[in-house]
Amino acid sequence: MAKAELKSKTKTEIEDSSSLKGTLASVFFVGFFIIVLWIGVYFLYLDRF
Amino acid sequence: MIKSPLKSKVDPRDGKLAMAHLYVAFIALLVGGLAGLLQVLVRSGKFQLPAGIGYYQILTVHGVVLGLVLTTFFIMGFQLSVVSKTAGTFTDKQRTVGWIGFWIMTIGTIAAAVMILLNKASVLYTFYAPLQAHFIFYLGLTLVVVGSWTVGAAIIMKYAEWRRANPGQQSPLLTFMALVNTLMWIVATIGVAATVLIQLLPWSLGWVDTVNVAVSRTLFWYFGHPLVYFWLLPAYMVWYAIIPKIIGGKIFSDSLARMSFILFLLFSIPVGFHHQLLEPGIDAAWKFLQVVLTFAVVIPSLMTAFSLFASFETFGRSKGAKGLFGWLKKLPWGDARFTVPFIGMVAFIPAGAGGIVNASHQMNQVIHNTIWVTGHFHLTVATAVVLTFFGAAFWLVPHLTGRKLTKKMNKLALIQGSLWAIGMTFMSGAMHAAGLLGAPRRSAFSDYGGSAQAAEWIPYQIAQAVGGSILFIAIILMLYIFINLAFFAPKGEQEFPVGEALHPEEKAPMVFENWKLWLGITVLLILFAYTIPFIDLIQNAPPGSKGFKLW
Ligand code: HEM
Ligand SMILES: [Cu+2]
Repeated sequence: MAKAELKSKTKTEIEDSSSLKGTLASVFFVGFFIIVLWIGVYFLYLDRF
Repeated sequence: MIKSPLKSKVDPRDGKLAMAHLYVAFIALLVGGLAGLLQVLVRSGKFQLPAGIGYYQILTVHGVVLGLVLTTFFIMGFQLSVVSKTAGTFTDKQRTVGWIGFWIMTIGTIAAAVMILLNKASVLYTFYAPLQAHFIFYLGLTLVVVGSWTVGAAIIMKYAEWRRANPGQQSPLLTFMALVNTLMWIVATIGVAATVLIQLLPWSLGWVDTVNVAVSRTLFWYFGHPLVYFWLLPAYMVWYAIIPKIIGGKIFSDSLARMSFILFLLFSIPVGFHHQLLEPGIDAAWKFLQVVLTFAVVIPSLMTAFSLFASFETFGRSKGAKGLFGWLKKLPWGDARFTVPFIGMVAFIPAGAGGIVNASHQMNQVIHNTIWVTGHFHLTVATAVVLTFFGAAFWLVPHLTGRKLTKKMNKLALIQGSLWAIGMTFMSGAMHAAGLLGAPRRSAFSDYGGSAQAAEWIPYQIAQAVGGSILFIAIILMLYIFINLAFFAPKGEQEFPVGEALHPEEKAPMVFENWKLWLGITVLLILFAYTIPFIDLIQNAPPGSKGFKLW
């Protein structure tokens, strides 16, 4: 039991130190922001012209 | 890096040349900031300019002095500094060329400024025909451009010397970046030089009676879009190559940084039509082509975003950060050299998103010539770029003057950045919102004959005045910090931070330094995007326009 715990801990640590998952999440956020703003103005456009 | 010429300090003789540029830049900040304050106050409807001073005269001062003078002078000073630092001290000859350029630019600036202050050139910073300024205004602008080429020549000479001395090696990253920006600037300014010398000067002198308005606007925007990238690339230099050192991390990828700069060189110029989407005389197909090329610039922009996040995350995780966003906590928030440019980076997210809306061909109709546009570029140039420049000034100025950024100044600098963020959130946010409701840009206060729609805009104009006043306080604070760092801060050695790559053994391909190739593609893209539309504009031109002086 103790052994298994130790193992899983090391594994996450290795993953963590070189991982870029925060970067991935961040660029997705930027992309999402662009899309939301764009769609918002797009509907304004459809509404007006 | 092998055989690095990286000196620990910029030579004082080069430092003097760079500082000369920065003095002009910060005088411009004072003058332009004051004009900005007056504008928001007038537009709130609660204040009138005294002594018959016109709103559009003030607006011309603001646009020219901040959009053209502050930016160009700061950039030249900054680029001279990074080249001197990373490629080595300028030779006496190169430095003399730099000084000649500085004085030509300065004389041109003074000439143009005097004409604006005499109310002979209230044509706004885009000086669109058929508004007609005094010929000395155009002459002054010509000198600014020629002077900037001369300063650029000093940078090109230094680069060429470095390449000769280090055959087969890639140039230092910051020198490479400064060179790309210089080359882009030279190619782009050929457009303004052409419209000013061939069209506007002879016309303002009365040698010809009329001007082809569409051609002059097209030449202006051939220059105008790369102009905004000329502002932005030095900020990217700080973000890519300097901030990593300040936080104690590494440049995520040297090759990626070089490649994104090359893409900016290629795609910044053949896109000017995205500023003319609602103009007659240009075929929609050619507009569409340039819209597509505009969207190509989104690629290096997103590469930049990725690279910056990655360098922050890599640094945070190397310090033991956990979880999805734990690395954010490891960043040195107490250090104004990092935090103030970081505020600029954050501002660039809504700024870039807004830009994509602006460039989306038909959707441009929703925002064209509304105050949304003003809100947009106060996020891009007046926040992302300017705060990055301020953040660089916090170490560059004391480095060049042999002084130190003290704890107290660092604290003031943090307050300055926060005030800017707050003021700009109000001002730019209100501008974006009012713009979507149809409020025009470049307009003094008016209730438009009691129109109900115009009444909707007034609360937003009050919000702009509140935000603008906060921004003005931030400008005063910045000037106080600048004067302290230039003249009063304690003597000492302030580090000039230059980042190192995460994997220095990974060399960028030498093809990046093949300027024949990149300039060749740049020119081909320009010819492709502009030749036929230009022929159309000239061949099918309506009668030319005489000059108008509406002030
Ligand atoms: C105190 C800070 C500032 C305030 C209150 C301010 C305010 C304004 C306002 C209200 C306008 C639009 C007026 C109109 O369209 O009628 C404007 C335009 C402009 N601003 Fe600023 N601004 C500030 C700082 C800056 C900075 C730092 C820059 C550039 C680095 C800048 C560049 C410009 C430019 C280029 C224009 C366009 C002028 C034109 O349309 O002809 N501003 N500003
Ligand atoms: Cu543009």
